[in-house]
Amino acid sequence: MRSESDGHCYPTSFPGLAVRAAGKGDVGALFATVSNRYRPTVDEFLEHVEQLGEHTGWNDRVRLGWVDRVRSTEGGFAVDEHGVYQHVLLAPGPPGLAIPDELAADSRAVHAYQPHEFAERVAIVGAGMAAATEWLNALAAGSTVVSVRRREPERRPLNVPRVMFSRRGLARFQTADPVARAAQLRQLLGPSYPPGRGWDEPLADAARDGRFTVAHEVNGEQQIVCATGFLQGFRHSPLLRRLVEEHDLPTHDRWIELDGDCTVPSLTDGSRTLALAGASAQWAYPAADTLVGAKYSARRFLRRVRSCPTP
Amino acid sequence: MSYTLRGRLESRFFATLVVLVGACAVAAALPAFWPIELVALMLTVGIVLDMLLYSAIDYQPGWYAVPEGLLEFALTMGAVRVLGIDPPLGAAVAVFAGAWLATQALAQAGFPLLSISYAENGGELGRAGVVAGIASLAVLAGAGGFAWAKQPPTVHLSAGIHQGPLVITRRETLVGDRGAIVRGGIVIRANHVTVRNVAVLGGQNGFDVENVRDVVLDHVSVVGATLDGIHVRLAQVMVKGCTVASPAGYTQGIDISFAMGMGESMVEGCTISGGQEGIVTHSASVTVMGNRVSATSLRGIAMTEMSMGMIEQNQVTGSQGIGILCVDQSECMISRNQVSGTRSNPTSADLGQRGYGIESTFLSAAELSRNELYGNAHGIGTFSGGTVSGG
Repeated sequence: MRSESDGHCYPTSFPGLAVRAAGKGDVGALFATVSNRYRPTVDEFLEHVEQLGEHTGWNDRVRLGWVDRVRSTEGGFAVDEHGVYQHVLLAPGPPGLAIPDELAADSRAVHAYQPHEFAERVAIVGAGMAAATEWLNALAAGSTVVSVRRREPERRPLNVPRVMFSRRGLARFQTADPVARAAQLRQLLGPSYPPGRGWDEPLADAARDGRFTVAHEVNGEQQIVCATGFLQGFRHSPLLRRLVEEHDLPTHDRWIELDGDCTVPSLTDGSRTLALAGASAQWAYPAADTLVGAKYSARRFLRRVRSCPTP
Repeated sequence: MSYTLRGRLESRFFATLVVLVGACAVAAALPAFWPIELVALMLTVGIVLDMLLYSAIDYQPGWYAVPEGLLEFALTMGAVRVLGIDPPLGAAVAVFAGAWLATQALAQAGFPLLSISYAENGGELGRAGVVAGIASLAVLAGAGGFAWAKQPPTVHLSAGIHQGPLVITRRETLVGDRGAIVRGGIVIRANHVTVRNVAVLGGQNGFDVENVRDVVLDHVSVVGATLDGIHVRLAQVMVKGCTVASPAGYTQGIDISFAMGMGESMVEGCTISGGQEGIVTHSASVTVMGNRVSATSLRGIAMTEMSMGMIEQNQVTGSQGIGILCVDQSECMISRNQVSGTRSNPTSADLGQRGYGIESTFLSAAELSRNELYGNAHGIGTFSGGTVSGG
């Protein structure tokens, strides 16, 4: 998990996970976080989510339902048969796992996010965080790894450069013309994994022993692990695709064009709001598929709801 | 955190507003204006750095606040020195440290709680930031105006001879034009009086300062006073750059007495010649530093009657009797002085008057360090339970 103290679900960024760890006696977390070295474990994060869920009564306050279609109507948006809502925030999540077409029918292929063991010789397709994790896992399992990649990964502690989490980096991005903006997005969302000896040393050791090599294509390995993430773009989501088609929303490449506050411009005005969150909001906020990104969308959505009179 | 320039400025103004409230409270309690002046300088230094240096930083982890704070501290204290604000060092460091801590607490916790999008907005606080900026400047302007209004009036003394004694009974700054002379002395009976560039001729005491505080005698001169050149009783003074020429007889250059409860006085950079005693203190806390004392007939510099203080970097030459004396249960730190040509007093039967460069007498404790003694009849002497330590 590529997360730091701010990777939490509380509404305000303070107190973050490091401060809460310090409150439980781990004072070192404070020193670690001022130099960005604090990394909460998955267990700590899940415990935090569980506690927050209990504290907020999440399970009692959230109504589960299936939504296929959202359409503009008088008074707001019709959300399937669930009713008409003045303000809607769509966070449809990933539409599915991405597997390269040429490997879709290959019986040797398995996606990194699916349960799997490792064969003696394994090809791992991809070069991002999931791929890097698979390299280490496979090496630890005793496999020989071939990293199949089309381009070299960036080394970044977080999904995107830190400056892109704030207005300092966003201002120029959000005012760029669509072509330049899409190009920057493609570059920002390219494969990356964190720098550090924890990653480099096992790979260097394995490379010396001939157990880790890089190739441009799969070449007869016993097993192929597709560390290629999720399907990307609104066209893979039936909900978003229909929304675009029915309302003729402007798009660019795989993204729906959004305002800087993650709202759909043509469907948002002084009386109603339609906003996106998660990966589908990357046009507004490149790190939208992170916890910080989810809060970015949610805070702006909240601001619109508060400023909008209820009829 | 990735600050925008506007975010840095708004955050700084808001934090400064909080710090200013504390500084105003400290200033009122002292009372003194330096805490507000210090905060104003901190703000100025911070804004300059924000615009010229920090704005180039795309992202700064939390620990950057430490070197940034040290840089701002160095520049602020440098500005304090250049502008002559002169706050007590320890208190100034405490105010700066308190302000820094308060700012960090606000940046890390206060602002994110106040504004949930604080980090995403690059530190910008929106309307609150603008209001805080205006409020900070308004408080500073108000404090500056108040300080200006509280400044004592300045009175100019024209060139020529003015018949004294001149009696000052209100807070004021008396500045002598070139060639301004007062005949018969100046009497000071009010707090917060500064006398600058005035010469006094004759009189019993050249300057008579009693029962007051915060008096500054800056580059004054006294010639021919029949008792003391500068006579201080139950008062706290800063005497700097003075010149006193005393006639023979029972005269003293500077006498600061019975002022132990009035705070520390200072005599710095004065030139004193003639008279029985050059600089003498009785029951007072005084720093005597960087003075030149010559041709006294009893003692060059003396701390007496349970006085406490430093006698440092003075030149005492050609004294009769004693160069530097610590006497009567006084505690004296005597360091880096040059004492030369002290000769024995032929008219006195007192053993202690036999030309000692430095002497400690009657249960006094003198702590010596790096003094240069040459050409004296005797070097260092102790009498009647007086002690010296160090070298």
